[in-house]
Amino acid sequence: MFNMSDNEIVFRVAGAAGDGVQSAGLIMAKTFARSGLYAVTYNYYQDIVRGGESWYQVRASPKKVRNQGDGLDILVTLNEDGLVRHTNPNINEGGASSLSGIAIFDESITNYEKQQKVDYRPMPLSTIAGKYSKNPLLKNTVALSAAAASIGIDFEVMAGVIKETFGNKGAVADQNVQAAKEGYDYFKAHYPPYGKKLDFSKRKLYLIGGGEAVGFGAVKGGLKMYTAYPMTPASSCLHYLASHARKFDLFVKVSEDEISAINMAIGGNYAGVRAMTGSSGGGFALMTEAVGMAAMLEIPLVIYEAQRSGPSTGLPTKTEQGDLNQVMGASQGDFLKIIFAPRNVMEAATLTAEALNVAERFQTPVFVMVDLYLAEHSETVENLNFDFRIDRGERPKDGQANYKRYLITDTGISPRAVPGQEGLMHNEDSDEHNEYGDVVSDAVTDPKDRIKMMEKRMRKMQTYINEMPPTETYRADDAEYLVFQWGSTQGVVEEAIDLLRKKNIKVGAVEINRVFPMNPDIGKIIKSRKKIIVVENNYSGQYNSLLKSRFLCQTELITKYDGESFFPGELATSIENAIKR
Amino acid sequence: MITVNDFNGKVKPDWCPACGNFSQLTAIKGALTELQIEPKNTVIVSGIGCSSNLPEFIRAYGFHGLHGRVLPVASGVKWANSDLTVIGYGGDGDGFFEGTQHFFHTAKRNVDITYIVSDNQIFGLTTGQASPTSEIGFVSKSTPDGNIEKPVNPLTFGLAAGATFVARAFSGDPKHLTEIIKRGIQHKGFSFIDVMSPCVTFNKLNTYDYFRKRVYKYEAKDLKDFSAAYRISEEWGDKIPIGIFYEIESKRYEEMDPVEVEGPLVTHPIYSVKDEDLEELV
Ligand SMILES: Cc1ncc(C[n+]2csc(CCOP(=O)(O)OP(=O)(O)O)c2C)c(N)n1
Ligand code: SF4
Ligand SMILES: [Mg+2]
Repeated sequence: MFNMSDNEIVFRVAGAAGDGVQSAGLIMAKTFARSGLYAVTYNYYQDIVRGGESWYQVRASPKKVRNQGDGLDILVTLNEDGLVRHTNPNINEGGASSLSGIAIFDESITNYEKQQKVDYRPMPLSTIAGKYSKNPLLKNTVALSAAAASIGIDFEVMAGVIKETFGNKGAVADQNVQAAKEGYDYFKAHYPPYGKKLDFSKRKLYLIGGGEAVGFGAVKGGLKMYTAYPMTPASSCLHYLASHARKFDLFVKVSEDEISAINMAIGGNYAGVRAMTGSSGGGFALMTEAVGMAAMLEIPLVIYEAQRSGPSTGLPTKTEQGDLNQVMGASQGDFLKIIFAPRNVMEAATLTAEALNVAERFQTPVFVMVDLYLAEHSETVENLNFDFRIDRGERPKDGQANYKRYLITDTGISPRAVPGQEGLMHNEDSDEHNEYGDVVSDAVTDPKDRIKMMEKRMRKMQTYINEMPPTETYRADDAEYLVFQWGSTQGVVEEAIDLLRKKNIKVGAVEINRVFPMNPDIGKIIKSRKKIIVVENNYSGQYNSLLKSRFLCQTELITKYDGESFFPGELATSIENAIKR
Repeated sequence: MITVNDFNGKVKPDWCPACGNFSQLTAIKGALTELQIEPKNTVIVSGIGCSSNLPEFIRAYGFHGLHGRVLPVASGVKWANSDLTVIGYGGDGDGFFEGTQHFFHTAKRNVDITYIVSDNQIFGLTTGQASPTSEIGFVSKSTPDGNIEKPVNPLTFGLAAGATFVARAFSGDPKHLTEIIKRGIQHKGFSFIDVMSPCVTFNKLNTYDYFRKRVYKYEAKDLKDFSAAYRISEEWGDKIPIGIFYEIESKRYEEMDPVEVEGPLVTHPIYSVKDEDLEELV
């Protein structure tokens, strides 16, 4: 086992769907953030609107936190099942730790077996709540404020968050604040504070989810049109954009299916606005044909692909990195497809903005691939309103003589005219065409033109590779062992590396956010290491296969496919074992 | 002054001689000229099929996309730049098989697009299989013993979906065809024109002769009368009506969307995010 830091709190609220678990978790996360603590959340839920079990975890610390963390300090449970599950030392929640701290719950729950590491804090939650309202969810607020009291959070900070959550002014907000105050005072009067002390601060932090960050980053990147069909976990981005459409001057449309969504986005980009579409694997499968069309007509297109556990409908509310093969293989023929995989919430914003530039400059499909974990958990970030310069790519001047839409160039990029431009009328065709856009596949197939155009389009790949930033690494300089990760596993991999470094194991990480085309500098990075280990949240190691076939290296593979993300201690143990293998 | 020549493409159509698509090409060019719409402001979006090759043969902005996906692309174009005249063009296979859901929903949304279907009651490009509008008993490569599936009626379907302009035309009557296309383009909202267009190579049943014997010009007493439009749309057999069956004024999608009403999206400035916009996340 690895020892986790003292200077942090892992909080968890558990209950059934419909109990208000998520909103309770979010109130706590916001309260931590406003107390100047960095926070990362974790959302565990099922494909059900009422019943079942769900929980929401928040890890908070005055130092930056990079994942949901191990250990569990404070449990608020809204039902008996939650108390039993999360205090059980043989907990079965996808790698999450069982409680060794305090449990806050309603005093009516009495039927449980006492666990050694748990301090039980029964409270008259329903009784207190009942004084203010008949709404059973009010007891959640009472429990949250008790949790806040246990670690010395300023009541006013929590009251502020509660007020906002319940509509600021009005009876409901007042009832919640009053009930919270009574819960806060009750805990302080009846129980000692929790053993850990946190250093609160005045630091300004934003709390934002990964899917929202993708939407926000798109707006920063000049997005004007988002067309989609809802599918978990891509919907958090859709909801953010739809609810901010008027503020950010954005056209948002949910259409009849994913096929129409992607074709609409292509139409929008063709006509000169920045348009994007998004879905999860199942919906993206329907978009496949249009991906190749965008590449053939050389129309910019950003596709947000949010992975969940497959195959098929799979585990609709669970995470996985299982769509890489699907995205890599989407659409017939050879063409440049660029795949980004943001590694954290902030990068979900910055890389999406960058994707919009890259798509327009290279006139080809660019993917922003996340997984459910990234799309549906929140992180605190410092400077959310990042600097960004929009680059709309090469455009021809109106009226230019003898305009060739698909001009053969060294870079492979041809200046792109849009409808409405004077004198640049032309045809864009999904059939193979020549420089003018005229079809070369129908009456007479011209093999020379075909070769020229194929090579022109593919030349964009080298042009893109030439400008790729260096691959980022973590504690890799002296590392004998290198762990490859891509996308959302960055935070947990870094922490696992830190844990192993404490044991004097020379291990570092390669952190991939630009998945394809692969950066040739990886070849140099992996040279003369004792072992290459690849960590992936899927069954077969889809990135691992890419890496091995491109760089002809031997690897050890660590996978996880139970629907949950990696947890740091568990991952450190797996890496240690892989090193020993 | 815009003349027909302004719309002449440099690529010669590669359709079989006498194919019904020729007169539609001429009619589209004629209608655009009569309406003095500039080539630079015209976008023709097509799918895949013989008919869908049309954008190549006209001097305008052409988009030759995927089989069945005419209307979503056309919608995206219109929503990006509502100043453009957007014409969707494709075959009966394209529109009534592969693209059925888009036809239904685009009609219902009343996006300001003119959708012209070259309805030859067969798959032309793939060398003669039965299409969704092929008649019962129709012998083709895919139905050697005769088609047993009832044909769809694109007009009643369009009406049921909520199209605000529904018409039928015939490739063998180019003047009338031009007039209808003109009216379709003028219509503010989704206009649907089903053009009976003989495939002289593969459809030996629904020929020019077949239609010449049957078609007659229908003049609606009241274009807003939905029941009358529905009844006339159902007429098919010894007599086949052509003309505008239905036209109503109704709010276009672009008029209702709060962002679209601010003018063509391409002219909107890029939104510059202010720190205050993010206070909700603190
Ligand atoms: C997704 C897809 N499926 C099938 C085809 C093959 N295909 C090309 S055109 C066509 C049918 C053409 O019929 P229609 O749309 O009526 O056009 P026409 O040639 O008659 O004008 C088919 C099936 C294709 N190009 N794409
Ligand atoms: S096959 Fe039929 S539809 Fe196609 S070009 Fe020839 S006549 Fe026209
Ligand atoms: Mg046809």
